[in-house]
Amino acid sequence: MPGRQLLMTFPVTATSHTLADYRGRGGYGTLQKVLAEMKPEQVTKEVAASGILGHGGAAFPAGRKWQVVHLDDGQPHYLCANADEGEPGTFKDRWILENAPHLLVESMAIAAYALQVRNAFVYIRGEFDLPYRRLAGAIDEAYDAGLLGERIMGTGFSLDLVAHRGAGSYVCGEASGLLTSLEGRKGYPRNRPPRLTVRGLYQRPTVVNNVETLSNLAGIIAMGAEEFKKIGTAKSPGTQLVSISGHVVRPGVYELEFGYPVARFVYEDCGGVLGGGKLKCIVPGGISTKVLTAAEIEPVTYDHASFQKAGSGLGSGGMIVIAEGTCMVRLLQVMLRFYHHESCGQCTPCREGMGWMHQIIDRIVAGDGRPGDIDRLIEISEANDGTTICGMGDAAGYATVGILAKYRDEFEHYVLHKRSRFDGRLEVPLHA
Amino acid sequence: MPEIFINGVPVEAREGATVLETALEHGFYIPYFCWHKNLSVAGNCRLCMVEVEAESGGWMDIACNMPATKGLRVLTDSDKVKARRKTMLELVLKNHPVDCGVCDKAGECMLQDYHYAYNGAPSVSTVPKVRATKFHELSQRILLDNERCVLCSRCVRFTREISKSHALGIVDRGDHSLVRCDELRSLDDDPYADNVVDICPVGALLSRSFLYKSRVWYLDATPSVCPGCARGCNVDLWHRKREWKLNALDPRHNACIERVTPRENAEVNGPWICNTGRDLAKFLERPRALVPMQKGREADLTAAVAAARALIDAAKHPVALVSSWGSNEELAAFKAALGTRFRTLVKPDRLAEPGERIEDDILIRADKNPNTRAAVELFGDAPVALDEGTDLVLVWGDGFDFARLPRHAKTILLGAFVAPENGHADVFFPVSVQSERAGHYTNFEGKVSAFSPCFPRPPRVVDAETLFARLGTPVAARSGAAA
Repeated sequence: MPGRQLLMTFPVTATSHTLADYRGRGGYGTLQKVLAEMKPEQVTKEVAASGILGHGGAAFPAGRKWQVVHLDDGQPHYLCANADEGEPGTFKDRWILENAPHLLVESMAIAAYALQVRNAFVYIRGEFDLPYRRLAGAIDEAYDAGLLGERIMGTGFSLDLVAHRGAGSYVCGEASGLLTSLEGRKGYPRNRPPRLTVRGLYQRPTVVNNVETLSNLAGIIAMGAEEFKKIGTAKSPGTQLVSISGHVVRPGVYELEFGYPVARFVYEDCGGVLGGGKLKCIVPGGISTKVLTAAEIEPVTYDHASFQKAGSGLGSGGMIVIAEGTCMVRLLQVMLRFYHHESCGQCTPCREGMGWMHQIIDRIVAGDGRPGDIDRLIEISEANDGTTICGMGDAAGYATVGILAKYRDEFEHYVLHKRSRFDGRLEVPLHA
Repeated sequence: MPEIFINGVPVEAREGATVLETALEHGFYIPYFCWHKNLSVAGNCRLCMVEVEAESGGWMDIACNMPATKGLRVLTDSDKVKARRKTMLELVLKNHPVDCGVCDKAGECMLQDYHYAYNGAPSVSTVPKVRATKFHELSQRILLDNERCVLCSRCVRFTREISKSHALGIVDRGDHSLVRCDELRSLDDDPYADNVVDICPVGALLSRSFLYKSRVWYLDATPSVCPGCARGCNVDLWHRKREWKLNALDPRHNACIERVTPRENAEVNGPWICNTGRDLAKFLERPRALVPMQKGREADLTAAVAAARALIDAAKHPVALVSSWGSNEELAAFKAALGTRFRTLVKPDRLAEPGERIEDDILIRADKNPNTRAAVELFGDAPVALDEGTDLVLVWGDGFDFARLPRHAKTILLGAFVAPENGHADVFFPVSVQSERAGHYTNFEGKVSAFSPCFPRPPRVVDAETLFARLGTPVAARSGAAA
């Protein structure tokens, strides 16, 4: 396994997700310790000191988000776990929900205690069937064992946790869209200001954290911020669950310690490209991050600073391996079809831009491309940069500009010759 | 009062105001579609982007959601802002049909204005536009053209925040989003629904009563007051400009109310009116009574005045029922000329029609007459009751049940419209309607609003105000003057 592990510390068996097994691994001990010995402020301080960054894509320091909430403001606060994992190529939270749902429940109880939350929510992706059943089962078990509900473990702290299923929208994975959807309305993202930690769910201060971010809390409190910071790099402490897919020999979910070399991870841990093929590029963290070519990933280590230097980002940890011989034009077509389909239609640049880009790329692929089309795609991407309510417009733009910047010649070839440079289907054997 | 800098000019912002509000209040124009000062901030059109200057490098954000905090420096027309605006308009026009030639909104369309002001270039799109529903029937009064819609959500927010009918929403997503009626609610049940036609920045929401009736640049707006209830909403009566008089086609178009829109008055109605107000033409354009009559026979005005005068002089117990649709000036003229001669009662000219909303806490009042307050202040609020000794009744305006007339009483009737009673009155005077004269109404809160004439008075119709003065002059005085 690549580096030290914080989450994938146990063998997955038929019962490893149950309360009995989780307790056998020392589960809910941290919650007991927190409720008995720590003050809410201490927990927040510890989380802030650990320097853990959000694992959902934006990499915002979780502690700093929490510190915006004032415990004595006389309002109810809400906590929501973002389990609407919809970024293409990303399925890491699914691993937690399926195999360690109690880790999320315990960590959320700790977070709720720190933020003095009475009602917490898990907004779970509607398409997640097994993860939802596992999570709902875990919540039921926790209620039955007195780990949720009134007066948890005999203390004065009470918490109700509700798992709410989404209805299949990508944009509802954006924190404010998620809350709007949770309120029962159409999942439109909201304008900032106000920030969600000032006015979020039902106009009250709300903390929305990614499932993986939250699931790390139990470990952070158990080992202490100092110990936690020793894992990973100075600026990116801890680990990241990476879901790797595409033309790779051993796809799946891996836990990577921050600072681990990416090339080694792709070529050695995951077995490299299928059929012994050559690597063309990787999508590092969900399709909304810019692609990195095989040459570019050589010096890169798996942490935020290194990826930023390479001109991309870790995003949501959904890595896609793309073999040499893949047509980038048709790859972009798939991406833009997705963004067009998922644009919520609230604000102008994304609503009109996504459809426009999709129409242009469809036309290019159909062999009807025109000389100005590639520049038009870049212009529309730029029109979305920083102008939309949520980050989806920007994300689609990054993805497009990222691919066009590195593989423009393929697009020009396609427009000129009305066919892909890579003829026929990509021959990749299913087994190595 | 935080001081901010707009294009380098220091301005004082109101506490809690946004940059867009501050800019507009101080004469810096920032274009917008979705923002409306009476609605919540949606921030979805992204047209009001401004550039924020900061030492750490600037950024761009929407002005409508940007709090005007002390020392903020924004630019509203830097090159960056201009480029963004142009791009946003390009994107808005990507799927807009640009059918201004057949669009009712042309001439007062925000998109049209902005295109000329900030873009002006032909479309850069070479892909087909998204097709959507045309002439979707939102209600019996409103049509929706989804292709023209820019999805600013003003109409949706209006039904949620102002009229509270929650009748509209947006279904589907992306560039195939559509404004639609809620499945369980109807826009027909919303008595304020027509306001969405006014606040629509483009020609997506269309009034069915105004559809294809006239191009707006052929019309003039005359300030008026809605007489539909005691609120006295300020309105604009739209009618054909004199210089665009129609000589062919139907000449009635030259003197008819083409449409009624709210005229903003923060103290009375804000920028809204109800649907009843939109149908003002229904009240004012009923068949008109055009000639004075004596017992049903057409008479000369002078003779009718003399006859009425004689009736007044002869009466022992005359009663006057004054109109609660009379203007302040007319009511005062009546009081001055005839107030001492008559026992005067105030009559409600109109009662709520079946199905009409009686009263709510938005605008509509239960008293369906515009000037009851001023009339009651002058003449008291005694109920309309006529005892048998009454020998002369002067009825001014509609709404009197003639079955209640004492058996031997003579009648003088002042009416604007054709009615069966006109022919039975001893003397009948045709009087002018609101759109033919100037005046003021006092609403239920005591707020006075003015209305102006927009059409000429028909030749033999009199203004009630001058008629009262003539009726009040004693016969003796007049004959003495003649002698």
